[in-house]
Amino acid sequence: MSSRSVPPPPAGPLPRPERSLAVCALLGAAAMAAVDEIVFHQLLHWHHFYDRSTSGVGLLSDGLLHTAELLGLVAGFFLFADLRRRRALAPAHAWAGLFLGLGGFQLFDGIVDHKLLRVHQIRYGVDVTGYDWAWNGAGAALFLLGAALAVRARGRAPGGRTAT
Amino acid sequence: MISAHTPGGGHGTGLFGAVLVLGAALSAAGYLAAAARLRRRGDGWPRHRDALFAAGCAALAGAAAGTPPGGPFTVHMIRHLVFAMAVPPVLAAARPVTLVLRTLPAGPPRRALRAVLGSRPAALLLFPPMAAALDVGGLWLLYRTPLLSRSAGRPLLDAAVHLHVLVSGLLLAFAVCCLEPVRHRWSLAWRGGALLAAGAAHAVLARTLYATPPPGTAFATADLRRGAQWMYYGGDLAELALASLLAADWYARTGRARRRAARRETAFPGASAPREGVRTGRVAGRRVVPGCSALFRLLASHDQQRIPAPGRREDEPGTARCQGPRPGSGGHGPDRTVHRSRPAARTGAAGGPGAAPGAGP
Repeated sequence: MSSRSVPPPPAGPLPRPERSLAVCALLGAAAMAAVDEIVFHQLLHWHHFYDRSTSGVGLLSDGLLHTAELLGLVAGFFLFADLRRRRALAPAHAWAGLFLGLGGFQLFDGIVDHKLLRVHQIRYGVDVTGYDWAWNGAGAALFLLGAALAVRARGRAPGGRTAT
Repeated sequence: MISAHTPGGGHGTGLFGAVLVLGAALSAAGYLAAAARLRRRGDGWPRHRDALFAAGCAALAGAAAGTPPGGPFTVHMIRHLVFAMAVPPVLAAARPVTLVLRTLPAGPPRRALRAVLGSRPAALLLFPPMAAALDVGGLWLLYRTPLLSRSAGRPLLDAAVHLHVLVSGLLLAFAVCCLEPVRHRWSLAWRGGALLAAGAAHAVLARTLYATPPPGTAFATADLRRGAQWMYYGGDLAELALASLLAADWYARTGRARRRAARRETAFPGASAPREGVRTGRVAGRRVVPGCSALFRLLASHDQQRIPAPGRREDEPGTARCQGPRPGSGGHGPDRTVHRSRPAARTGAAGGPGAAPGAGP
């Protein structure tokens, strides 16, 4: 970008760990939502596009989530580019945020969408218990990995500066 | 016309289609001529906007004249997709209103256009949630009331429906992207929120259409499902396009603001109040930071021009100018229009705002 030609302010750009984490969590959640949609809707055809049993609330939440996923992908991409442009990206926190987002979305989808709202199930015509455990377990694992990375990023570099 | 009942309803869109094709061709020709005129005059107007506008008009004409493959509902849906979703973001990205304002000579037509843009009804229509409600609300009305089946045998009603879809789609794109000089620039939260709500309402409508046909119609199930899926995924693409335009505009704006702040910081360490920057920067710009002088001279020429003739301000198609705190947000380029009638000022701004950032010290 042409902003490179402008010298940074004397103090130098400060990394922004919280913002890095939040932006990457947004990207992670949106990416997992997209993966979910592409793999299970498009490739495997496990989900139904719509089944009549879906409640109004479920339909609305699904529509909102789907739209938010698209907007989140775009917004996350540009916010990430903005962090890079300001040289304010804190990589360790960014990775932590990414995994938190990936796992967080999976847990949300698995618990709120599948179980509480019952918008859709992972697969139809079979016993979904195993699928549910696999989906939520994978989500929890990703989330815990993200949490561990966040703790490590915070412990290793108070300013987030030297972390890699 | 596309209808639920007549089997032969797939041929183009009749007289209305012909009018649309003609309108699209005329608009494209007018746009290209205006852009060419601007360039002959020595002003910049990116060529990709010409291509965008021409492509948008071609898509519009194609959808109005041709018939995509598929059953009647799918055909209807694809045509609506092009009208309401594919064409508007492309046309909005080409900034036709800015182009018109910059090509029209100062006089009654331009004043009238400025007055319309600055009027209360226009501001209300361009309020993002309003535009979203008009756009998606119209679709809910069309598919969830007997409107679609009623319009089957009535060419006028049908044309009105199509026109509404096209115009409200354009309105939403213009309101969300906000690339034109309008009176009020809504914040990112309003525009993004309206886009989110519109997208969600659209997705829900598409989902329900998959299972339940519009009242009074009897489309085949496969046709209905295909149409609903076109609507759902086509809506996604339109939403991605609008969101990208919105975000790219934000990225460019914040980038320009940062570069300005950095220049100000270099010129006057410690002084970073945005309002004072312009005035003092213009004076010091010549002495202290010669690299930025092109931009400062541009701003200076504005100041000189505005002082003796404050009444002209109404004629300036500049959004940035009306907003005070962001005096130099070039890129929109409205600033340059003013210099057309002032050869002296124009030579001063020969570099243009585009040249200034690269020339930093």
